[in-house]
Amino acid sequence: MDEFQEILQDFLVESFELIEQLDQDLVELESRPEDLELLNGIFRVAHTVKGASSFLNFDVLTHLTHHMEDVLNKARHGELLITPDIMDVILESIDLMKQLLFTIRDTSADAGVDVAECVSKLDKCVGGTGEVETPVAQETTPAEEVASEPESSEDDLDYENMDADDLEAEIERLLQERQNEDKAKREAKIAAGESVPSLDPTPETEEEAPQEPTPEPVAPTPVPAAPTQPTEDVKAAAPAKKAQVVEQTIRVDVKRLDHLMNLIGELVLAKNRLIKINEDVEERYEGEEFLEELTQVVSIVSLVTTDLQIAVMKTRMLPIGKVFNKFPRMIRDLNRELNKKIELELYGEDTELDKSIVEEVGDPLVHIIRNSCDHGIELPAVRQEEGKNETGTIKLKAYNEGNQIVIQIDDDGKGLDPEMLKTKCIEKGLITAKEADNMSDKEAFALIFKPGFSTAAAVTNVSGRGVGMDVVKTNIEKVNGIIDIDSEFGVGTSIKLKIPLTLAIIQALLVGVQEEHYAIPLASVLETVRISKDEIYTVEGRSVMRLREDVLSLVHIGDIFEVERILDSSEHAYVVVLGLGTSKLGLIVDTLVGQEEIVIKSLGDYLKGIDGVAGATIRGDGGVTLIVDVLALMDIAKHVKATAIIDSSSDAALLTQEKMKASDYTIMVVDDSQTDRMIMRKALEPLGVTLVEASDGQEALSILKQGDHHFDAMLIDVEMPRMDGYSLAKEIKKYNRYKNLPLIAVTSRTGKSDRMRGVESGMVEYITKPYSSDYLSSVVQRNVNFKSEFL
Amino acid sequence: MSDKLKEIINKQNAKNEESLVQSDDVVQLVGFIIGEEEYAVPILAIQEIIKPFPWTRVPQVPKYVVGVFNMRGAVIPLIDLRLKFGLSPKKQGDETRFIVLRHGDDIAGFIIDRLTMAIRIKKKDIGPAPDTISGDDTVIDGVGKQEDRIITILKVNKLLERDF
Repeated sequence: MDEFQEILQDFLVESFELIEQLDQDLVELESRPEDLELLNGIFRVAHTVKGASSFLNFDVLTHLTHHMEDVLNKARHGELLITPDIMDVILESIDLMKQLLFTIRDTSADAGVDVAECVSKLDKCVGGTGEVETPVAQETTPAEEVASEPESSEDDLDYENMDADDLEAEIERLLQERQNEDKAKREAKIAAGESVPSLDPTPETEEEAPQEPTPEPVAPTPVPAAPTQPTEDVKAAAPAKKAQVVEQTIRVDVKRLDHLMNLIGELVLAKNRLIKINEDVEERYEGEEFLEELTQVVSIVSLVTTDLQIAVMKTRMLPIGKVFNKFPRMIRDLNRELNKKIELELYGEDTELDKSIVEEVGDPLVHIIRNSCDHGIELPAVRQEEGKNETGTIKLKAYNEGNQIVIQIDDDGKGLDPEMLKTKCIEKGLITAKEADNMSDKEAFALIFKPGFSTAAAVTNVSGRGVGMDVVKTNIEKVNGIIDIDSEFGVGTSIKLKIPLTLAIIQALLVGVQEEHYAIPLASVLETVRISKDEIYTVEGRSVMRLREDVLSLVHIGDIFEVERILDSSEHAYVVVLGLGTSKLGLIVDTLVGQEEIVIKSLGDYLKGIDGVAGATIRGDGGVTLIVDVLALMDIAKHVKATAIIDSSSDAALLTQEKMKASDYTIMVVDDSQTDRMIMRKALEPLGVTLVEASDGQEALSILKQGDHHFDAMLIDVEMPRMDGYSLAKEIKKYNRYKNLPLIAVTSRTGKSDRMRGVESGMVEYITKPYSSDYLSSVVQRNVNFKSEFL
Repeated sequence: MSDKLKEIINKQNAKNEESLVQSDDVVQLVGFIIGEEEYAVPILAIQEIIKPFPWTRVPQVPKYVVGVFNMRGAVIPLIDLRLKFGLSPKKQGDETRFIVLRHGDDIAGFIIDRLTMAIRIKKKDIGPAPDTISGDDTVIDGVGKQEDRIITILKVNKLLERDF
């Protein structure tokens, strides 16, 4: 019984959440009635509530939501326009649904006082929906709805006209009737030797439900169900309470945990920043005493932050068993409903994952399992014919795999037929015949996740509306999960949901391409390899390389993210081997930057859905780095054609213009001393050339990058703050377009090693201070090929 | 001297009162220049105006979406209005600013050439957008007329709407 209580609690929490959402969405819908996305969302909510309530045997609720679903489904298919009148009714029915849920909540924990009220409310509701639905149905689709609805509305009117006493009597009568029935059934069962849990009568009512509307229309059906339910629950709750022991736990509002998690996220960002600053400081004040202390503090902070993060993550962890527990019961009920024999096997219920993810996987699992039962597992007779065990098996497993948790749902049913799936999809206009031809079997299996797709011929209480699997996809994608579906026709289907352990903070490999950085989730990185360019082969227009025994297809990250090639490419490159499911891909990058903990931030609505980008993160230096969506990347890689990795050195920027006058020559003077700059200016001004000044390496680099000027030479001081002359020269030489730009060192350092360093970093001349202005001028003239006629 | 001062103060007070009385009919805007034209957005839609700083390029978007940047921990898209309005790109200068606009949950930064001023304009001085470009699709909300110039008032929600 405890189990039932737990499921009930979950159901209530979930339903209230969904209804809250529903209210908002519906109001929004009224202003935008043609928004299909919104309608689909609302419809899915109704569908989910209905699904959950039906297997908990809240027939009243199921009944109510089923009708709501009908209305919404019509609207969704454009057969019905949501007018304010209809909206009133829908909103009213939701209010009723809420009251119903409150009643369920209260009565299952308390005495079932509100039952009569609940029933009358239901009457009203069904009446309300019926009345409005009828005229609408006549306007649009006169066929099916009219047939059933008027009956119920008529009947409901009767109830409405009854005075309270009569109503009471009627309820009493029906209740009595039902209870007797139940009793008889139970006795029969006990006689048959079956073990009967005390809650057993309720499924019986479910069985009865479809039959009753015909002789004794819709409204009465739920009547007996509602009273039976709470009374039974009360019985259930009472012993449970007694059994409670003092637990060593505290209930904490999830919001507080979420807030804590957000704060940790910010802390991790700050930590990254601190580490970066520490590195910079280390470089500049090498050997100083305080440095060691700083380094110590930084490493302690970083260690504690990591521990703290793990600790907080753990507080949010729940065993997946919490979700799994409700399925045995669901399977049992489905068995009866569908007349099938299905056994459920559970493995790995102790596997833990983040609370928010546990919540998100509940719905998808319900849908997948219902689907397996309804469409997967065959009827016992059919199974016998095919030589299978009469009883079908559904295995539900959860296990850890690296940074992911895998939930696997295997059934030994009839499997998926890729050709049939394609045909269905073409029929429904979800794909074109041409697309179907190019599909692999695996891609065809994935079609079942398309919205609007259903293989069932009829809409049943269990499935067939074509939303269920869509819910699966939406929810799993929401938590950055991957769905892997495999099936063998006639043998069975296996669906794997791969879900990251947490959503917010992940380990990532940072890679560089040209001047840009990207973060790749470490969970998808198998290894990294350094290769030289001639190890890359081209096969049928695709780059590949040999990796040990395998041939690995390659794609350049620059081709995927449209990176402009401005830097000179070196002879070597790094290949990041990405693995996802069974597929592998080599991603060519220019540099490996390192491993870092990153906090995932969304790019927001404006930029959502960029292929290959899963989000962004903020780095230690305050910059934004994009996070690679490995799954999408693999898809894109299929369509990217290999561009030559050895890029041609033809750069448009190298075009030098004919110099018409002395001021066409532009020279940059980089020196941190105002006086030194003045001296150089004085020396060069007589030539009439244009001078641009920068006070350190960084400034010089940014002036260069801006590209406002086309420089003919640079005079660079060696010792400067922020970025010294050697580093500046090295940075500049990375760019193709500045390969031939003469860099002239102007320095008071006269040592041989200094000169050597100058040459190494790409300086062409070395002028030692002090110098005569004539000497400086002549060196400059020589290096820029100054035309003598301008003198 | 003090008389003169009083006079000025009185005048200012009168002006203040005047503007208070009319505040219902007055729209407060912030004006800025893109290319040759002056544009304006309602002051309440502006989250902040900041000097340019580095951003990160984002692939697979139109040219006018130059990238994303970090505004105190939030990742915000950056849109170059020059490019969006079909003008040639221009190097950012001393006067270039990012205007961060918000409408509901939508937020984005916009690069503008330079700011002009905060503008108070009477509602009756705002005309509709020219017929040729009016309709739901235009980003132009209306045209504000002041003594010596014409200001194009932009629809913030349209600017923040993704159109690719």
